[in-house]
Amino acid sequence: MSARQPGGGRIDRSQTIAFRWNGKELTGHPGDTLASALLANDVQLVGRSFKYHRPRGVMSAGVEESGALVTVGEGARRDPNVKATTQELYPGLVASSQNATPGVRFDIGALANLFSRFLPAGFYYKTFMGPRIAHKKGGGTAMWMRYEKIIRKAAGMGEASRQPDPDQYEHGHDFCDVLVVGAGPAGLSAAAVAARAGLDVLLVEQAPELGGDLLSEPVTHAQAESQLAGLIAEARSAGARVMTRTTAFGLYDGGVAGLLERVTDHLANPARHQPRQRFWTVRAKRIIIAAGALERHLAFGNNDRPGVMTATAGRTYLNHYGVLPGARVVVATNNDSAYQAAVDLAGAGAEVVLLDARHAVDDELHRFARNAGVALRMDSAPLKALGGWRVRALQLAVADGERWTRGGVEPCDSLLVSGGWSPTIHLHSHRGVAPVWNDELACFLAGQSQSGEPIVMAGAAAGIWTTAECVASGRAAAGIAIAATNGATETAPVPPPAAGGWRNPIRPLYEIRAPGVKLKSLVDPQNDVTADDVRLAQREGFTSVEHLKRYTTLGMATDGGKMGNVIGLALMAEALGGTIPQVGATVFRPPYTPVSLGALRGRSVDAHFRPLRRTPLHEWNLKHGATMTMAGLWHRPWYFARAGEGLEQAYVREAATVRETVGLCDVTSLGKIAVQGPDAAEFLDRIYTNRFAKLAVGKARYGIMLRDDGLVLDDGTTWRLSATDYFMTTTTAHAAKVMVWLEELLHTRWPALRVHLTSVSEQWAGCALAGPKSRETLSACLKAPEAVSDEALPFMGVLETALNVGGGVECRIARISFSGEMAYEVYVPSDHAPAMMDALWAAAEPRGGCLYGLEALGALRIEKGHVTGAELDGRVTLDDAGLGKMAPPDKPFIGNALRKRPELLREDRPRLVGIAPKNRGDTFNAGAILCAARRVSGHGEGWITAVTHSPALGHWIGLGFIAGGHAAWRDKPAVAADPVRKGAATVEVEITSPHFFDPGGERMRG
Amino acid sequence: MADRADRAERVSALHGHDAGAAGEAGAAGEAGVVLHEVRDLRLHQIAAWPDTLTLVAEKAATAAGVKTAPTFGAGAANAAKQSALLRVEPLKWWLLGEQAPQLNPDHGTTLDLSHSRTHLRITGKQAAPLLNRHLPLDLRETSFAEGAVASSALHHVGVTLWRSQQGYELFIPRGFALSVWEVLLQTAAQFGVEIV
Repeated sequence: MSARQPGGGRIDRSQTIAFRWNGKELTGHPGDTLASALLANDVQLVGRSFKYHRPRGVMSAGVEESGALVTVGEGARRDPNVKATTQELYPGLVASSQNATPGVRFDIGALANLFSRFLPAGFYYKTFMGPRIAHKKGGGTAMWMRYEKIIRKAAGMGEASRQPDPDQYEHGHDFCDVLVVGAGPAGLSAAAVAARAGLDVLLVEQAPELGGDLLSEPVTHAQAESQLAGLIAEARSAGARVMTRTTAFGLYDGGVAGLLERVTDHLANPARHQPRQRFWTVRAKRIIIAAGALERHLAFGNNDRPGVMTATAGRTYLNHYGVLPGARVVVATNNDSAYQAAVDLAGAGAEVVLLDARHAVDDELHRFARNAGVALRMDSAPLKALGGWRVRALQLAVADGERWTRGGVEPCDSLLVSGGWSPTIHLHSHRGVAPVWNDELACFLAGQSQSGEPIVMAGAAAGIWTTAECVASGRAAAGIAIAATNGATETAPVPPPAAGGWRNPIRPLYEIRAPGVKLKSLVDPQNDVTADDVRLAQREGFTSVEHLKRYTTLGMATDGGKMGNVIGLALMAEALGGTIPQVGATVFRPPYTPVSLGALRGRSVDAHFRPLRRTPLHEWNLKHGATMTMAGLWHRPWYFARAGEGLEQAYVREAATVRETVGLCDVTSLGKIAVQGPDAAEFLDRIYTNRFAKLAVGKARYGIMLRDDGLVLDDGTTWRLSATDYFMTTTTAHAAKVMVWLEELLHTRWPALRVHLTSVSEQWAGCALAGPKSRETLSACLKAPEAVSDEALPFMGVLETALNVGGGVECRIARISFSGEMAYEVYVPSDHAPAMMDALWAAAEPRGGCLYGLEALGALRIEKGHVTGAELDGRVTLDDAGLGKMAPPDKPFIGNALRKRPELLREDRPRLVGIAPKNRGDTFNAGAILCAARRVSGHGEGWITAVTHSPALGHWIGLGFIAGGHAAWRDKPAVAADPVRKGAATVEVEITSPHFFDPGGERMRG
Repeated sequence: MADRADRAERVSALHGHDAGAAGEAGAAGEAGVVLHEVRDLRLHQIAAWPDTLTLVAEKAATAAGVKTAPTFGAGAANAAKQSALLRVEPLKWWLLGEQAPQLNPDHGTTLDLSHSRTHLRITGKQAAPLLNRHLPLDLRETSFAEGAVASSALHHVGVTLWRSQQGYELFIPRGFALSVWEVLLQTAAQFGVEIV
């Protein structure tokens, strides 16, 4: 059994903290991880595996964990698939097993293990996909339909909370000269040297403490302790900035690193204002990767039993956490590193048998083991772990040349395995640099970057195994970074130590099997991929690394193949009769360890999912009863309901009032661009289809812009304020697009034009006054009331004057109409907008006027057949929109060449039309398709873009497009169909001119 | 015309939101961040043509009361006149606190943008860390010392940042100002925040 030692470890024994595991109260100490606390309580069986529901325990002491995946937290804070090996213990922590129903000991899902030979790699592909004929016979996809629910329930690990996440997350940006990833001996010394040279160093460490592998040394080891303290003190005193509990999870272009900082995951009661996690984007000039190495396991029978873990994990639990993993321990290795683990465990009182797969090691290593009381057996390896819920004994394998035969049985309660080490080259690999296999060390090392990545590998991440050489390697890496940052220095960088450092060579070993022994040997325990699955993939032709991965799911779990990838490659190489480099290597992609969705979204959530854009009249509108709606990022008034009114009654009343008296509408969201300079007129002439060069000062003109491809980009009015100064308005939807497009034209095509463009959308707040009484309403608010008389300000006239508000507020007025009524747009500097509205409303209200919103605005413009973004959707030509006369034949403009493509000139293109129900009581939806009667199919012959109840006509009307336009449909019956929303029902419609109301425009000129 | 406008009272985009919140909020202890809205912004854009840059630079500097117009990405202030000149684009300056000079269109253009931005001053020990929770700008002393000016994006909104003698001066498009203010306030809570 595993148990807490009476002394030792880095935990704080002076305090005891209680936590709950599967409903049972257990205790641990500050400094424990959940895994170490569970082991201290002799909890071996922690969960069940993904596919076969095999019993699982703690398999490592770090991020590579594949066994102890647990659910932590309750209610809205329930997180699945947390690695117990990295979850710090805190008072009141609640955690439970996963994938086990009803409980982790008696788990119904474990039946899957009995039938596992029927669930091979590619099971779903083989069983549930098939030709349609199989479908009809009840096989293939039909089987999938039948069993999908059960399979979906069985799939997946753990269950996240379905409640909204109550925690805050945030993003951050940081910059440094050198980013050092990993604070082991190499990282600490690299940070110290680089910081001492005056560089701004950021040192990040995923663990809560600095020290890396030195933290696994016994605290009683005085020399190691003083080295640890010294390295930390050196880095800190040199001025390196240190972030713990922070994982560099990805590297990107130009020295950009993604970091995840776990701010409160280790706290019982986090401060209220602290975010739970921070997602950092760090821009570094140089990056030193000193991320260490991960110990590999070996494939042998039941190598995933609770009680089997890596050798270094066993040593870490003993020395770091004061937990002895077992009383009778078997350590199995193929390299020198596990000797230290065996010796430390023996020193702590365990009975230790060390199996070394090699034939011989040097005398000194021999003595080292024997002197500590370790029973050393060469030519030995594990064949099969015995025991149900935990390991009870080990069936040994004995070397027979290159092969293995069955040996004796060794009782044990803990089995520690070392199959060699894989340097943590993931971040380097993120840059697309393929790793290179090193035969001597039996591991992948970082490849040579062809594109000059600013990355230096150091320490065990560079395949350097001894502490002393890791320190030297860190210093050498810093030297390279210093030289690269500061240019040539007096002292050339010292060469880094060579990779390696073991006294005896490793024996490459990945799987142990013996003739006549059936084994279930896990390669990727997290995804239940076995050695047989890899061989099956090879037999079925999935021999490339990438195919192997996708077919078997090897390396696709949350550990990203940290445990199993190399073994999988080795088995494939063996099956193919080749070598690992011939098979290839999977390239790692970010993230190194999982990143929560919360951290990715940061503060962009709920009300701040996107920024809200408010007009300066926002509060004023709300105070006057507006119901708001979103228009892009803008919040705009939708309608102003009076007592007892809903949307429909309100907008119909508002639209009717505009036609009868006067209405006021906040139009601030329209895009506004100042076009200034001696060449402004020429510029406008080039971008609009119609002429602007000769527009008189004090006049406005409606204009259309095309894209290069000849389709309509946007429309709006442009006002000439002076010879060199124009005020352009755009639609709300296309404001930014137009601004960017015009800037692009100026900067890339016409740099010689002396024109400046500036967005003044935020500078000016606008109100539209529309209706027969708009003139007298506006006049009543002006310092010079006569300025807006029909003579002084005719249709399309522009005026700069002042409102009679406060001491006078400057304003811009144009007599332009969107509603078809006599109408004005009035703009004031934004901070004066409420004052403007107070004045206008005070004049409009006694005249029977109203405030109107987007819905009424829509109704009025549909009656007039005026187009907006709904019609100008990027597929429409000038002629399609009925605006062909806006392009004089002899005038060049952007889009003029390509608008004459044959496809755009076809007579049967969809053209703008009006739509009215034959039966005046009927209605139809925007988005419905238009079809010839009794021929409803496909996309129809047109579509409806906008609909409204027309107060002027007293029935439903719409705008849309239909092939050939309304002339082609004069005698042809048409219907509106909405198959997705309304099924087979159709509405008979009349296709008309889009100009329903006052087609001659007398009202707006009056 | 601007003078006439200035006689009427101006209503800030943060009206009713910042004043009500004045005081301390967030984490206890000394406020790491102090937020202040500088009201009644006076902001004029001065823009030159490529061949009139020197001439317009001189006029801009004179208007601002500074010796020379700042280079791109920098600003210069005249504390006595409460004015400043920021180089916001290769051909454009922002003049704060003063009337724009008269320019012949053949030399350049001017434009009143006083109502287009909301001006926040952010000070306190944690001002830079707060800004870096959103702004991807290197605000370390070595690269963003006093006088530096940059355009960037804060919570998806294009903003202009100037480091003045007083602190960080942030110019936010008016329509987004309240939204950005709310996000900044929420972020600043962890540092302890004082609104003045």
